[in-house]
Amino acid sequence: MALDSETHVRSRVPFLDERSAVEKLRSRIRLTPMTVFWTLITFILVIPILLFLSVAFSPRLMSQGHQWFTLASFKPVFSGAYGLALLHSLILGVVAAVGAMTIALSMAWLVLRTNTPARILWNTTIFALFLAPSYLIALGWQRLFEQRGVLEIMGFYVEPIRNLLYGPVGICLVLMVKGIPFAYLVIANAMRGLGEEFEQAVRVHGGSRFEAFKVMASLLMPSLFSAMAIVFAEAISDFGVASTLSSVGHFSVATYQLYQGINSIPVNFPVSAATSLTLLSLVILAILAQNRALRGRSFRTLSGRTRPATQTKLSLFGKFTTSTYIVLLLVITLGIPVFGAISASMLQGLGSLLSHYTINFSNYSRVFHSRFLRNPLIYSTEMSLITATLAVGLAAIASKVLTSARNSRAKRFVDFFLLAAVALPGIVFAIGYIFTYNLKFINDLGLHIYGTSFLLALAYTANALPSTSRSLVGNMGQIQESMMDAARVHGSGAAKAWVDVTMPLIARPLLIAWLLTFSGTLLELPVSELLYPPGSPPVAVGIELSLAGFDYGGGTAIEVLSILWALVVVAVAFFLFNRFAPPGWKRLGNLR
Amino acid sequence: MKKKANENAYRVEIKGASKHYGALKALNNFDLTIEPGTFTVLLGPSGSGKSTLIRSIAGIERLDSGSIAFGDRVVADNGFHMAPEKRDLAMVFQDYALWPHMTAFENVAYALKRRNLDATESSRRVNEALERVGLAVKGPNYPFQLSGGEQQRVALARAIVGRPSLLLFDEPLSNLDADLRERLRVEIATLTREIGATACYITHDQSEAFALADQIGVLRAGELQQIAAPEEIYRQPANRFVAAFTGISGSFLGTVIESHKHEVIVQLGAQRLECRTPGKLKVGDSVEVLVRPSATSLSHHHSNSLPAIVLDVAYRGRGYEHVVECEFGVISSVFANESVARGSRVEIYIDPHNCLAFPSEKRAADVVAIPELSHSK
Repeated sequence: MALDSETHVRSRVPFLDERSAVEKLRSRIRLTPMTVFWTLITFILVIPILLFLSVAFSPRLMSQGHQWFTLASFKPVFSGAYGLALLHSLILGVVAAVGAMTIALSMAWLVLRTNTPARILWNTTIFALFLAPSYLIALGWQRLFEQRGVLEIMGFYVEPIRNLLYGPVGICLVLMVKGIPFAYLVIANAMRGLGEEFEQAVRVHGGSRFEAFKVMASLLMPSLFSAMAIVFAEAISDFGVASTLSSVGHFSVATYQLYQGINSIPVNFPVSAATSLTLLSLVILAILAQNRALRGRSFRTLSGRTRPATQTKLSLFGKFTTSTYIVLLLVITLGIPVFGAISASMLQGLGSLLSHYTINFSNYSRVFHSRFLRNPLIYSTEMSLITATLAVGLAAIASKVLTSARNSRAKRFVDFFLLAAVALPGIVFAIGYIFTYNLKFINDLGLHIYGTSFLLALAYTANALPSTSRSLVGNMGQIQESMMDAARVHGSGAAKAWVDVTMPLIARPLLIAWLLTFSGTLLELPVSELLYPPGSPPVAVGIELSLAGFDYGGGTAIEVLSILWALVVVAVAFFLFNRFAPPGWKRLGNLR
Repeated sequence: MKKKANENAYRVEIKGASKHYGALKALNNFDLTIEPGTFTVLLGPSGSGKSTLIRSIAGIERLDSGSIAFGDRVVADNGFHMAPEKRDLAMVFQDYALWPHMTAFENVAYALKRRNLDATESSRRVNEALERVGLAVKGPNYPFQLSGGEQQRVALARAIVGRPSLLLFDEPLSNLDADLRERLRVEIATLTREIGATACYITHDQSEAFALADQIGVLRAGELQQIAAPEEIYRQPANRFVAAFTGISGSFLGTVIESHKHEVIVQLGAQRLECRTPGKLKVGDSVEVLVRPSATSLSHHHSNSLPAIVLDVAYRGRGYEHVVECEFGVISSVFANESVARGSRVEIYIDPHNCLAFPSEKRAADVVAIPELSHSK
């Protein structure tokens, strides 16, 4: 038979008995995608995280003190300013998670299951929200409502709103806005895989529309809890709001407290590590609560038998009400910060004490003509392309490990480290990298990568991997394992089966994950600030430098152009997908 | 139809196969041989290890210990595990496992990729396979555009299109309605025999097993209870479990009062019943008498019959099946050409050849007589 030549033709038992331990070991450590995956996970996630966190218990290990083991670093974390900041972060995280999940669920239903006219605006909005880091959203609001800001220049009295903005309400609002797209994508992807048969089963058994909605919500429960866990983790580890509204409004949060610790002289790394560990614990508690609520249930609803859902036809009143809701949401989440950024970018003299202001495009012109303003955008684009590709590849493997039916050690390990990394603020992550890749033994190994683009790309990837993996878990969990088994027994190796079966089934979520990572990296702030190679500032650092130099116009112009550029990439990617992807790839998740 | 084995059909030999899931023993030192070109059905209840076994043969599961060989080719042994794609087999899954992003044509064509055929030949074979399962015009349809039966037919076409050396069936009919199940069963039987592949089919449905198999293996708790031709399994079950799982219409507890090699007479209350036994029983042994459906009939025989009352009657086209209640329990599937009204008193003849006695730990005296019938006496 032809196939025999391709396969291992093995004689019976005597040959097998000669298989040595060395051969078995060699066969186990051969270069496979999983070997590459575990090696990368070890070097970009495990080692930097563990080394930095170990400082909390053992300052001497990293030459940060004299004791080999102490818990003294934790004392300041739970008292005084650190304790208060931690409490603030916890409350803000819970409120943002519940709020973002609720809004995202309603939007997923409106967009995917109804014919409300305003739904066409939502996908663009979601991507724009993803593109805009929290510090840019906060800066947009700030430019509008600050003293001698855009609205005051226009003659509006905005002091009461400013007081709200520079406090818990404003911070929570921005964190919730930033959480909505994360929650939406997780919930919407799960909803796409949820065929109409479940709703129909409720209706034909006497259930009302509301009853059917409740059943749908139950089936979506894994994704709802995942969404809340992601938003909570993102909120308590957010640095963008901490560096803007929190610092200006003097409402401390844990990450800002951490930042202050790192910037104090001498740097108190052990306390920073202890604070990071505490933040980690908060996230782990959230995940434990999630697991307890789910009690190990997983709802595998996507299979070859899934039928696409039909659309609910809304009445005229329904269309009006839902469209008003969507438009209102757009104005609050995106409209105001965008207006703040665009108006600020077009105002000449903002940030100065001038009494006369002009509106023109000269700030944009400066961006195009100055290499100091332009080059960061080019550099960040290159880094984002590399990072997005690497992170999505790794995230796909990680999510596969996380959704495997068996509760293996590998699964628990990946789960723990990805969650740990979600909770770690980017700035702490960057410090972990500085630590690790300046260590003597790393240099002795010939790894002189500190201060290079290579290290920056690794840090970006490690930073993006946890949330990217989490966003794919819901979809990966919906794929019946028998479909991969079928590909394997019908002649495809693991990699080919993955490319032929799994990838097309999650093509859209993969594309979305890639675009999110790309755009997230394009405007990333904390890792960029600490790890960028000398002379090559990424775009976020370019914006910060401009704003620090009171060039509000130039800074906001780069900000606007960067977001526009990311939107262009998103639009082109979706155009290419819709134009060239095979029909079967596009069918999944579409309405009938 | 007399089958003709494909010259490439595998001889499957499983030796000492064991597989644990935590504390659960899915397979326990399991031995099985399947001759080339034969159709073997593995029959067992949930948790008997049949899915684990077929998935281990496919290479989807790894054995903890033991070996599997296809002819001279070892595919699993002592930690060695050959990947599924290298085993040259095909499989039909319980949930069909069709790929939703591919059309029916593409699903079937996928299984031909390993044959490296040119596009024309590949297309011809796919169309032929689809035509063979009655879906020639459904090639461009996606799985969600097909009914359950059509989806499983596509899965069947995908399995046979590459003319594999081994065909595995993982309860392929369990998600279908009765009529479809019967029609597809016939298609599976004929198509498998046409291509002459060795076939291994798992099910918990004994009627499916008897209809399809050249040999049936009955599994329980990861162990093979008996493997034999369907007729032998039915007539000479190795133990009570095999007999019970391969179809009975009722059972009674009694005591042996006469024993002649494989024939015994069992005392049931005031009645005596002649039965067969696969083992050795002696006078005084407590036994459980298992009655095959084919053993019963409404009759006026004077010997080997029990008085009963008709509880229910169902029209089955060629006649009527009755459920009756006698002093010692309920007997179902009692066939008669004419219906007998519910509540009627009847005599049930029990054919000694299809009435099997097995040793029982329970004693007849422990069983409380059915009050209603006692009263009616």
